[in-house]
Amino acid sequence: MKEKVKIATGHLQGCFGCHIALLDLHEDIIGLLDMIDIVRSPVNDVKEVVSASLGILDGSVCNTENIKLAKKFRERSDKVLAFGTCACFGGINGLRNLFLLKDVLKRGYIETESTVDGKIPSSEEIPEILPRVHSLDQVIKVDYYLPGCPPTPFMIKKVLGAILAGKEPELPAKNLCHECKRERKEIYIPRREFITDEVRILMELERIDQERCFLEQGVLCMGPATREGCEARCIRGNFPCRGCMGPTPDALEQGAKMINALSNIIPAGALMFTEDVVGAGYRYTLPVSIIPSLKEEAR
Amino acid sequence: MNIGLFISESEKVISKTIDLSAITKNYKDLTSVKIFNNITSSTSIKEIKDEIRAKSLRGIVLAGESPLYFKRIRNADTVVKAITEAGINPNMISFVNLKEQVALPHRSMPREATKKARFMIDVGIERLRFVHDVGIVGVTPKKSIAIIGTTTGGLFAARRLLERGYNIHFIDKSGIRDLRDYKEQAMPTLAYLKNHPDVRFHEKPIKELYGYAGNFRIIFEDYSLRAGGIIVAIDDDLKYTEELYPLLRIDRNEQGFFIPIISDTATVETVNPGIVVIPYKVDRSLSYIIMLSDSASAILDTLLSQKEIKHEVFVSEVDEGVCGGCGTCVKTCIFHAAELDPVKKLSSTNIKRCVGCGNCVSACPTGARDQLSAPTRFLISAIQILSRYQPPDGIKVLYLACEGCGYASLDYAGRMGLEYPAGVLPLGVKCGGRIDTQLILEAFRSGFEGVVICKCQDGRCLNIVGNTDLDRRANLFRSVLKSRGIEPERLRIFGVRECEDGSCVGNTLEFMEYLKTIGGRR
Repeated sequence: MKEKVKIATGHLQGCFGCHIALLDLHEDIIGLLDMIDIVRSPVNDVKEVVSASLGILDGSVCNTENIKLAKKFRERSDKVLAFGTCACFGGINGLRNLFLLKDVLKRGYIETESTVDGKIPSSEEIPEILPRVHSLDQVIKVDYYLPGCPPTPFMIKKVLGAILAGKEPELPAKNLCHECKRERKEIYIPRREFITDEVRILMELERIDQERCFLEQGVLCMGPATREGCEARCIRGNFPCRGCMGPTPDALEQGAKMINALSNIIPAGALMFTEDVVGAGYRYTLPVSIIPSLKEEAR
Repeated sequence: MNIGLFISESEKVISKTIDLSAITKNYKDLTSVKIFNNITSSTSIKEIKDEIRAKSLRGIVLAGESPLYFKRIRNADTVVKAITEAGINPNMISFVNLKEQVALPHRSMPREATKKARFMIDVGIERLRFVHDVGIVGVTPKKSIAIIGTTTGGLFAARRLLERGYNIHFIDKSGIRDLRDYKEQAMPTLAYLKNHPDVRFHEKPIKELYGYAGNFRIIFEDYSLRAGGIIVAIDDDLKYTEELYPLLRIDRNEQGFFIPIISDTATVETVNPGIVVIPYKVDRSLSYIIMLSDSASAILDTLLSQKEIKHEVFVSEVDEGVCGGCGTCVKTCIFHAAELDPVKKLSSTNIKRCVGCGNCVSACPTGARDQLSAPTRFLISAIQILSRYQPPDGIKVLYLACEGCGYASLDYAGRMGLEYPAGVLPLGVKCGGRIDTQLILEAFRSGFEGVVICKCQDGRCLNIVGNTDLDRRANLFRSVLKSRGIEPERLRIFGVRECEDGSCVGNTLEFMEYLKTIGGRR
């Protein structure tokens, strides 16, 4: 029998959902376990970072402990995979970069409505929080990427399969509209006007046609500026894309591209962007955007 | 790549301010560096051709006069023609504007001008790293000409062209016009034309018009026709001008009448080759009208007598590996040049319709579309290079100028002797619609204190919706800047009425004063 490939997994800052997503492989996991040997993982509770052929890290880099763990993984793994959106682009945590750290701590520990006599914890035991959230490749060299919040079983299988077979995993390069099965009509008509004058919110479920493009119905959908590969799962569930797969490889940043595209397509896009540009356009990718943080001194 | 840097002194105008010999020392690694006192002279042109062939050059940086000089001044194009004849693809020539945008406006600060000139040349060289050859298509010219407007000028031009063997299509939705003051003189011509078998009158509105010199397609409600060239002679019919503007895309003056590129050296030529205009002016004499109509017919006849007209295909290209067929570009392109390929379900460019404005490139959410003349990654890199220039007062402003009037007006200001600080770093873009949020962000990231976008005034965008789409994006640029702690007022957008409008300098100076009052970014 072929020797099993040694794999180590590690968790940085995040919701742990990417590790859970490995279980979404269902029965395929049995086949996978025949090929791999998990030598270190939060799941089997091995804390020491041992050497492995492949190090898989999920979560973003938010504190000094994250940096330490990432560096150990880099040292002791032949190849490193950034697993999930947080590791690839900084993810939701990255939205913290819009604020100065002192304001974030104040808000979190003192000002929240339910807090009484709050104070910002400080102890040598607690790892120091970094002024800015980083993606994994801003801290260590990353060999492979697998975006998704969390990554879909199909993509996990494809990417891990390629790596285990000694091949370079390929991510799809087109945008989600390519995978989306909804009907588009208005957007194919050249004109100065918007493709619709309507602005709809998601709550108007009964008024949203499940067969038609969200944008054409005035619902903000990040699909055009988002990489495909997730099989448009949210959209099939009648929920517009929020952009977790990140930008396509030719776009320099997702938020800017969405602004360029949407502002002349729908008033809704423009409207919502004006209200919360960053929340909509940079939800998952702020740390890897061109200007990733509020102020330079936050670096 | 073998690159040649050809610098023009422009009869010592440039070398008076910029120390060219100091500059050339920095470019020793280029295959060829040459300085010419008069680049359009026949000896210079011969030398350029010989040098390109002898050193097997692949790309040329032409530093000196404004790129518009080579396009708009009569016979200045001989330089560009010579370079292409020597085997250089038109897209492999970078223009660096050392005269109008460095030497003239900074003539009282030669040291800074010399420093700045280097970065501008670096941008020109950098461009050659990102671009590739453009296709060149040959068109057999159609032997027919469309004359829009049955006015005195139009009628006289028709007569001349009939003599040269052309078919004439008169198009005027108002029918035959009142010939006004020159009725008596023009009536016989009209009678002659009405009975001529090669003349047709189309008294209906034009629905669509596209194509290029040698082969235009004009579409009416129920039929269409082809014409090799177009003469616009609608006099002072402002309503009709308004209607035709999106179709013809030629300049208008302050009163709103169609005008030629430059009133003194190109009396009838427009920015759109193959389309000529008989411009309107109050109290034109009959001899003046006849002169213009003769000029118009002579230019079209010269153009269309060629066996083949060559067109450089400066369009937007699609990377099919990245395009997902979302349709954003199709919706955005007012020229109907971005099409959805019915089989592949991906976007494609109709090269007959594409004007290369780049609005679709900005709009493309995937980055699959790019502009052949100025790819996005080049523009980003250019911004980074320009940001390395450190002006003495520390204030650096990126000046994005559209190729319509934004760029031309800055040239005009230079020629008029208006001075401004060297910290204003110009970068030409095709259109306001080409301005991508990514560029603005990159400018602030690289350390510019402010960004100016100078474009054609509202309603005057040569690419029709470029301004509209820029405005739609601009509000969002500002929100994005605000979210990163950058004052949104650091982005200033202004329009210029026409290409000969020096107000851009005053506006920029005022903006720089404002930047001083709000202080540094860091």
